Parts: sequence; structure tokens; C-alpha cells
Amino acid sequence: MENIENQIFSSYLRNPDLYDEIHDEKGKVKEVYQKLFNLYGEHSINDYVLLNNKAKSSFFNQGITFQVYGENNVQEKIFPFDLFPRIIDPVDWDIIERGSIQRSKALNLFLWDIYHDKKILKDNVVPIELITSSANYLDQMNGLNPPGGIYNHISGTDVIKHKDGKYYVLEDNIRCPSGVSYVICNRTALKKALFGVFNHYQTHTVTNYAENLLELLESVKPGGVDVPNVVVITPGMYNSAFYEHSYLAKTMGVELVEGRDLFVENDFVYMKTIKGPEKVDVVYRRIDDQFIDPLEFNPDSVLGVPGLFAAYKKGNVTLANAPGTGVADDKAVYTYMPQIIQYYLDEEPILNNVHTYHCSRPDELKYVLEHIHELVIKPVDEAGGYGISIGNKLSKKEIEKVKAEIKASPRKYVAQPIMSLSVHPTYIDDTESFEQRHVDLRTFTILGKDKEFVLKGGLTRVALKKGNLIVNSSQGGGSKDTWVLKK
Amino acid sequence: MLARVADNLFWMGRYIERSEHVARYLNVNYFSSLDAPNLKSQDRQFVLRSMLFMVGDPEEDTDKFLKEEDVLYKIGLDPTYSASIINNIKFARENANSARDLISTELYEAINKFYHFVVNYPKDIFVKNGLHDFTTHVAEMTDILRGKIRGTLLHDATYAIISMGINIERATQITRMINAKFNDALLSQGGENNMFSKSFEWTTLLKCAEAYDMMRRFYKKTPTSISTLEFLILNPNCPRSVMNSLNQVNQHVKILNPEKRYNKDSTAFLIGRVRSEYEFKYIEEIDQDIKSFIENILKSLVVISDKVDEEFFSY
Repeated sequence: MENIENQIFSSYLRNPDLYDEIHDEKGKVKEVYQKLFNLYGEHSINDYVLLNNKAKSSFFNQGITFQVYGENNVQEKIFPFDLFPRIIDPVDWDIIERGSIQRSKALNLFLWDIYHDKKILKDNVVPIELITSSANYLDQMNGLNPPGGIYNHISGTDVIKHKDGKYYVLEDNIRCPSGVSYVICNRTALKKALFGVFNHYQTHTVTNYAENLLELLESVKPGGVDVPNVVVITPGMYNSAFYEHSYLAKTMGVELVEGRDLFVENDFVYMKTIKGPEKVDVVYRRIDDQFIDPLEFNPDSVLGVPGLFAAYKKGNVTLANAPGTGVADDKAVYTYMPQIIQYYLDEEPILNNVHTYHCSRPDELKYVLEHIHELVIKPVDEAGGYGISIGNKLSKKEIEKVKAEIKASPRKYVAQPIMSLSVHPTYIDDTESFEQRHVDLRTFTILGKDKEFVLKGGLTRVALKKGNLIVNSSQGGGSKDTWVLKK
Repeated sequence: MLARVADNLFWMGRYIERSEHVARYLNVNYFSSLDAPNLKSQDRQFVLRSMLFMVGDPEEDTDKFLKEEDVLYKIGLDPTYSASIINNIKFARENANSARDLISTELYEAINKFYHFVVNYPKDIFVKNGLHDFTTHVAEMTDILRGKIRGTLLHDATYAIISMGINIERATQITRMINAKFNDALLSQGGENNMFSKSFEWTTLLKCAEAYDMMRRFYKKTPTSISTLEFLILNPNCPRSVMNSLNQVNQHVKILNPEKRYNKDSTAFLIGRVRSEYEFKYIEEIDQDIKSFIENILKSLVVISDKVDEEFFSY
């Protein structure tokens, strides 16, 4: 551990075993962060205590909150926001942006294929059981052509920077990825708190997301529609992402509807306005597949619209994202992403996949058994983090036990190298100082008819608990403003 | 605009307006009673009963001793009492929440700040010595909200719906205040200096409507029952008069459905009729039977509100 000379960073402890985003391996502040580091150093830590409180109350007054249900009361909480922005230089961003588009396109082609000719399965590139056994594969989508040929209009790609300084994708989210409104809120909050720092950097704006999203949604309108009527559908104001739904509708200037505001007649969708029914053409839905139409999916759903899927099948309405995309973003398909990209695009993956060893293959099994201490062992059929063993946390006795289990049923296990998320200086409330915390990045990619767009920014999530690698907000994660610098 | 959202915005307007009138009624009655010219109007029990009467929850037992702190808490901050100020603001915010995409960020933020002010107001301070601070704050914040509504929203259907809610509620609350003070004036009469028509309660009523100064300017005389009622009901230039509110509602409904104005089943037609009725009333007519007149206004306002619901919100 080394101390770094700077008033507010005087107690900053740099662990040389971790990849620190603002320092190089010798502990020197990287060039791109130098100005920011000096500017922040001009303030005292008391200024940050004050600014941090101001930022908090600003989020509170704007109602950018989520609700926590206690025993006898409902509490409103804000998502923790960090005052120290993350900077991504143009070279790195170029990789992330091209990589996100590449994955989104490959996933779109993959979805088209598995709901049509299933060539990739016939060619044995992806095992057929992977698809047929998936709970998220929708038979109803077979042979259906979504307007514009797009399934995953909006993708959220979770990217981390590993110890080796390279970017890896941990997860693709192509159902209803959320978080984009926080990208914009974080920028607004940082601008209010520390506007001076923006003068020294050429940062890309993030406020152009909504206009791009609307343009995309209009580009995939159903046939025969001239100027499409676009709506956002939300489960309602008690949903934890309601702020985002209302934000997107507001900034796109379209209606935010609930299931009960829509009805279907003769396979066309209408919304109930004060001037009578009005036809709806494109639905950006923030409701999961299972709940969009009680006639077709979960019959108990009160969130959806009876007959919506029939209207979709007739081609009278566009749903974004398309139903049935969930089959392509699960853990099992993830491991085949390099092959999927290769198969459809004939390209090398730009962003790395975390390498996965399939214990069902003898050569890989041998490697796994020899390197357990540096691997994470995961059962393929469990979700939610159950049954996972992290090699470097196991005792000798436990290692032998895991080995025995793998040998007994090798098909049941896969293994991955232990990934170390990069760390970034983060203001910590309790200690009133800046400390190293692990971060990831969620990028937002939009695919339309002949159109693609990646929001130049993205949501940097921070694991606020010391040493924690889990950045989810449900696990006490916060977020940072993320600057993508202009070339 | 979605029918459901329009419904919510209509009620957002009504709850905002309602919270203000209740707050001002508490404030003005409490503080003007402290040095009221006659014993009855000074009596704390009398004032507390008037407050309960105004929110529609009169205490029927005439012998019951009312505890000041209980009454103030109930009307101000009691979360279990549906007509309390705190609940009005909770409902207003909830309605705003569901229309967050339609209203401006500035308006939403102002409602949200208002909500946090009210829910965080300490109960003990409120009932002991916070009444003035709390109620003036509530009234000021509703002014800010109306300013944001007028100044930051597009003056289209959204604005028209909210304004209709505000004005129907304003007419309703003013009429309820008139009713409560009419009742107080009846109860407090007696003695030479305290005739019904010259009761101190008319001054209080005008202050509750923030109309005292302008009334003095207009009539240049001490308020009487007849001049007060004329000013608060019929004067179209008094911003809080029933007439003024009806005129506003009439203007806004035209934005919603201009082509249906002359259809006899439309809201616009109904509002036009009610408005005309009051436009050509004279005060002596009202003075003959104030009680039934008040009941009639309240009834008309309910019919209008139901009609709005039927034409615009129901499917």
C-alpha cells in the first residue's frame, strides 16, 4: 500500500494488486486524470462532505428515489451517487462502442436464426439442448418477423476492466435493461455540484439518448403506418424503475401508459384518451414477456394488455424489445458468444468473453482440475449464485471435495477464471475520504432499421462495500458519472 | 392525453387547492379569534368546532370538550384522517407521480419538496407552536405550485384539466368556508353589537379567502353579510369568488372539447349553463335563503365534477 500526495487523497490507500483506473502501476496519476486529480485536490475534504449532502438532497427533491418497504412504513431512498467521475479515453471507448454494437448485432442475428431456420443449431455451433431447455424460448415467436427485423432494440452490456487492462463482458441484458436514466441524472448532479471541472475536459453529452431512442422506435414502425404513435408501457408507479419509465416518456415526448390504458380491437391496439380511443403503433415495453398479454402468457397478469400479442403477430404493432429475447442473454448462451459472433458476422469478438471451461470436454476437465485455486466453479443449471465455489477462497480439503464432485458429474460444471474488477477512487460517506472501490460499466446500445447508436457514457456502478465485487444496487451499489472524452 | 392520467391530474389540482384552503382556514380562524371583539368568537371551543365543521366533520355532541392539540393534529398532520392536510398533499403527489412524464420537472420537483416539507414537519411543534409557520408555508407552497403550473406547463389539455380541478375545488372550498362562517355567524349572534349581518365572522371569512383588503377597497365599508357574500360569490373580479372560478372552468373546458360546446350533453354546455345562472343572479335573491343557496352551489359543483368524470375519464 502506498500513500499519494494530494490534500484530499492524502489518505488514499492504493492496493498494487488491483487495477486502479486513475493510477498506473507505479502509482502515478494517469495523464488523462491529471487535471481532474489536481482540481479535486484544490478542495478540502469538508467541501466534499458538503457537496455530497447537497447532491443527495438534489436527488431527493427531484424524486429520483426508490422505495424500501419496512415493517410499518415505506421509506424513500436515493441511489448513492459518487462525486468523482470516471473517465474513459477515446481509444478505450472506441473498443467498448464497437464491441457493444458487434455483440448486439450478433445477438439480433442469433435471435432471428433460432426463431426461423435454426442454422446455428443444425451446424452444431450452439448445442440444441441449450435452446430447447431454455424457459425463455417462446414457441409463439417461431417464424414471426418483427418489424424492421429487430429483436433486441435496446441492449445493456455489462463490461468490466480486468487486471490485465482489457475489457471483458460479464453479461448481456436484452430483455428490459434499465439504468440509462441514472446516466443522465448523474451527469446533471455532477454538473450542479462541480461545474468547474467540466471546463477542462471535452466530454460527450449523454442527453441525446431519448432523441435517438425515439428515432429508433419510429424506424421499426409497423408496415402501412405513416407517422407512428409511440408509447412507453410501465408496470406502474410502484415499480422500482418507474422514474426511468417516466423520464424516457417525458424526454421522448410520448405517452407513458399502463396496461389498463390500452385495449385491443380487431387486432389493433388503442389507448384510452380524453378524446376517445387513439391507435398505438410502437410499444416500448418495460414489462417482462410473461406479463405482456394474459391471453397468451401468464393468465394472471394484470399488467399487460389482452390481445396485444395477437396484434403483434398480425404485424399491427411493434414491441420493443421483441418477446422471446431472453433466450439469448442467459448464462449458457453467454459462453458461446465468441462462436456466435464468428458464425454470423465472420469477425473476431472485439470485447472479450470471460473464458469458460466446459468440464464435459476431457482436455478442459484436466485443466480445471489442475487449476482449481485460480478458477470459479459454477454449476450450469443453478441460478442466483447458488453452488458457486471460488477457488482461491477454498481450503485444501474443500478443493479435494470440489474435485471429487466435478469428476463425478463433469457435465454439470463449468469453470471461469476469477475476474478482478478494476477499482476507482470513490467518496465514502462513513470515513469521509476517497477510497478504492470496484466498478463496472453498463453500456446502452440501440439497434434500429439501418441504425445503431451507443450512448457515449454508460452507467458506472460502484460496489460501495469495501472489497465487494458485487455492484448491483440491491447489494448496496452506487454509481458514478462516466465521461467519454472526445477525440 | 390518457383518460386515467387526466383523471389523476384533475385530482392533483383539486388536492393542491384543497390543502391551501384548509390551511388558511385553520390559520385565520385561530389567530383572528385571539383578539376577537366578542366572547363567543374568542372562545377556543367555538373556533375548534368551526374548523371541524369546515372540513366536513362537525362535532355533533355540543357538550364535548375538544382538546386543541387533538383537533389541530387531526386536521393538519393525522395520516389516518383522510381529509387532513398531510393526506391532501400525499394524494396530490401520488397523482403527480403517475403523470410525471406529462408535467414539467420544475412542477414535479416543487410538489415533491412540498411533500417532504409536510411529512417531515414535527408533530409536537405543529400542535404546540407551529400552526402559523406550518399553515403559511403550506399556503405559500401551493402558490409556488400554481405558479409552476401556469409558468412551466404547455397551455394545452393538460393545463386545462389541472386548472379545471383547481377552480372547481376553489369554488367548492370557498362555498364551504361561506357555509362554515354563515353557521358561526348564526351561532355567535346576540347582543346589540353582534347582529348577524354585521358579525365579526364576515371579516374572518374574507381573510380566509385572502379577499379582505380588496373587499375594503371595493366597498370602502365594514363587511356585512350581504356585501361579503356578494363579493365572494358574485364578483367576477374577485379571484377567489365562485363566479370567477366558474368563468375559469368555462374557459378551460373549451380547450378540451371546443367542437362539443353546443352539444347539450357535454360538460362545456353544463358549465356554461351553471355559469350563466350565477352571472345573472343578484344578491338580494341570495339573501332570502342563504342556506339553500349554498347547498345549491355545492350541488352544482358536484354535478359538474361528475360530468367531467363521465365525459373525459370514463371508459
